[in-house]
Amino acid sequence: MYPKFLLLACIFSFMMTGCVGKVEIDDLALVMAVGLDKGENGAIKVTTQIVRPADARGQTGAPAGQTGDPIWSATAEGDTIFEAIRNLATFSSRRVFWAHNYAIVINEDLAREGIADIIDFFSRNQQLRMRTWVLVTPDSASEVVSTLTGLEVIPGEAVDKLFRYTTISAKSPSTQMLDLQSAYLSDTSQPVLARVQLIKRGVSNKKPGQAGAYEQVDLAGAGVFRKDKLVGILKPEEVRGLLPFIEHVESGVVVLSCPGDAEKKMSIEIKNQSFHVEPSIRDGTPAFATSLVVYGSVVEAGCPFTLSDKKDVKKIEKEMEEKLKEEIELVVKKAQEEYKSDFLELGKVFQNRYPSESREIGNWEDVFPSTLVEVNANVTINDSSILYKPTKSGG
Amino acid sequence: MKESMDQKLNHEFKPSLTDNVLLLKEILSNCDDIVFREFVFHEKINEIKGICIYTEGLVNTLEVNEILDLLIYRGKELLATVPSVNLDINLADKVKSEILSKHNIKLLTKVEFAIEGVLSGDSIFILDCTDKVFLASTRGWNERSIEDPATEQVVRGPRDGFNESLRTNTALVRRRIRDPLFKIEAMKVGKKSKTDINIAYLDGTVKEGLVEEVKKRLNHIEIDGIIDSGYIEELIMDAPYSPFTTVLSTERPDKVASSILEGRVAVFVDNSPFVLIVPTYFWQFLQASDDYYTKYMSGTFFRIVRYIAFVISLTLSSIYVMLVSFHQEMIPTALALTIASGREVVPFPVLIEALLMEFSFELMREAGLRMPKPVGQAVSIVGSLIIGQAAVQAGVVSPFMVIIVAVTGISSFAIPNYAGSFSIRLIRFPLLIASGTLGLLGFATMFSLLAIHALTIRSFGEPYLAPATPFVPSDQKDSLVRMPWWKMERQPQLAEGVEDRVGENQRPSPPRAGGTSANSSDQDNSSNN
Repeated sequence: MYPKFLLLACIFSFMMTGCVGKVEIDDLALVMAVGLDKGENGAIKVTTQIVRPADARGQTGAPAGQTGDPIWSATAEGDTIFEAIRNLATFSSRRVFWAHNYAIVINEDLAREGIADIIDFFSRNQQLRMRTWVLVTPDSASEVVSTLTGLEVIPGEAVDKLFRYTTISAKSPSTQMLDLQSAYLSDTSQPVLARVQLIKRGVSNKKPGQAGAYEQVDLAGAGVFRKDKLVGILKPEEVRGLLPFIEHVESGVVVLSCPGDAEKKMSIEIKNQSFHVEPSIRDGTPAFATSLVVYGSVVEAGCPFTLSDKKDVKKIEKEMEEKLKEEIELVVKKAQEEYKSDFLELGKVFQNRYPSESREIGNWEDVFPSTLVEVNANVTINDSSILYKPTKSGG
Repeated sequence: MKESMDQKLNHEFKPSLTDNVLLLKEILSNCDDIVFREFVFHEKINEIKGICIYTEGLVNTLEVNEILDLLIYRGKELLATVPSVNLDINLADKVKSEILSKHNIKLLTKVEFAIEGVLSGDSIFILDCTDKVFLASTRGWNERSIEDPATEQVVRGPRDGFNESLRTNTALVRRRIRDPLFKIEAMKVGKKSKTDINIAYLDGTVKEGLVEEVKKRLNHIEIDGIIDSGYIEELIMDAPYSPFTTVLSTERPDKVASSILEGRVAVFVDNSPFVLIVPTYFWQFLQASDDYYTKYMSGTFFRIVRYIAFVISLTLSSIYVMLVSFHQEMIPTALALTIASGREVVPFPVLIEALLMEFSFELMREAGLRMPKPVGQAVSIVGSLIIGQAAVQAGVVSPFMVIIVAVTGISSFAIPNYAGSFSIRLIRFPLLIASGTLGLLGFATMFSLLAIHALTIRSFGEPYLAPATPFVPSDQKDSLVRMPWWKMERQPQLAEGVEDRVGENQRPSPPRAGGTSANSSDQDNSSNN
């Protein structure tokens, strides 16, 4: 009797659930990217890039109502982000679903006024992932979000892939919601976000005449924050000095002039790089010694060059050291003097090493601009790809 | 007053032939397949007559004729030496020992045994003026030849399978274990069918009490007839309400032999090519005979493939339904888009879609099985067209669902035991419905329930999920992996474990300089150390 009753109870409990919380995947509006702009009268304008699966995937055997557009951009305004998103529901036929969001794009005007509510909203909502890319743009975020790219069908996916390989170009940091939140919550570090820009480029290989006719999303440096407000921009060429501080960088390309002929150029690819920040206390104030150890490989030489010429190698190593040192020093200077924002996470390094002292030195924001940062670089060039002898005519 | 059948059977034979024949004819009335052949044993003295009774089709007629010849022609010689006055008690014994010594003869006095003998294929010979009856073992009927086991194919390994004859089946196993400790005990089950059942085990290896338990359960059976070993299986299994099978049935004599060597008990049932093996572990259903015959590395690899197939066939459709209708965030984005695009035109919820496809798959499998062979092809063509192509094009199911169901189906076919594959297929449905109605919560609940249930089951005293839970370290040599034979030194935990399975220094190695054979050089080496 008892097991029979148990069995019945089991069967009915499954039948009477009424499928709580069940939403089919085709009833969801999958958001691929979201753009945040300033709306009218202090409102916030949310633009969602929603994928249309049937068009995003050329599905054989399942003819859907294809119109050709892989995405559908929907814009709504509201006093808060949540209200704006709720307003989306007035015209969106499917339920907005955030879990697959690739990127959050914030307009710089909005960022200058503060992004505290954005950080809160996007880390509070359980549907949102902490590994979503967060970027700032000087252009309208809604435009950035709805820009179609040449290679990927879905623009959000294009942004995602753009950031996966940022280390190659080293023009922007790759910043995720997680980094933004942790820097924002930290009492020493300040957030720094990747920055993108719309630049006219060619996207058609058939019509070269169209080159420059379409706007594309380009990596364009980084936006520096103090607390939740955007305070400045790092240019793309300045980002390389920043990257070792906040990311693990393994590669990169440095262009140098040839040892014999300053007119000619050669490229060194960074094969292996290690960066270390050593905190210390000098005369009661924090000081830092950064050391950058780089192993490079000659990938292109505009002049005859061989690794066997130790003098030349020493010369370009020296030149490269100077260059890398300059880059880092420039960023440190900007952080300390121009923006007075510790987006280099130096305070975190100090706090980790000297927890008790860091409590005594007072407000890090006041201390940081005057701390001493020493920059060292050590470059070894030990590889010249598959050419050993110099490339020269008749030689 | 008419006697009942039981009373008639209880009679003893009388010295008068006519009385006996009358009684037997009465008992076997309206049995057209019973043959009564009269003959004259000796015409001179007292006109000794005789009668031979057997069932047509169950006996070897040549043997019957031979016995008749002996009785008729040698009877005279025998009686010439016996004084006619003493023609009473000794006659039967004398005939048995002097004339019919060539044949397997038993002397009977009770009617019941004679009738049973006739109906099982023996023949009886009754002579006048003696109350003893000769029962000659003349069984010989047509049986299917020994063929490939249809349900358990192997690539490497013996190709003989059991047939419907009990003796042939036990002989197939006896040929593999030629040890006096290998015992085969007979019993009969079934009031009407009186089916012969043999219990086979290896004395000294089998655990104490196991054989007694099997016998006890078999003796407890009260049923009119046993048509297949499936009846016995259901009547002796430990968990009658469970979807899991706790008795392994196999058509392979090699599997039975190796199970007996591991200390299990085999139950042979007459008229069934499926031999039952107890106790059974769940994992045995996932182990094929091939594992032991091919090299241990490939054996292990295929075994792991089968374990994966088991997990897939059990959970894949449930996980898909659960992810697509509840936990879309758990699907990688690119895959989510692909699934969503395929589902764009599908009118049903995923659960209904899955049940629909699973049902059509089961339908196709069942139809393909029952159809006459020449028509079978048509089923697969129609089935693959409808389930595969047309259903997707018509927008009834999504292409992804077709893949899921196909992979699930193929995985369930990869499970080597038919009964095992069925129980796994059965428990898939509650899992599917639970995850379609409650998502991950339902899946986890139902899976836990099933796991707890499987943990509680025992098969003839052995935990069903052993040697995984309870974990038996020494038995791991033959569970997830199949260790090489030279590593399997001890008998499994199930057996008494007094004997070692493989001797020492069995790992082969090339001969060293001066050494002659692999093993001797190994031993030389160890003695030098």
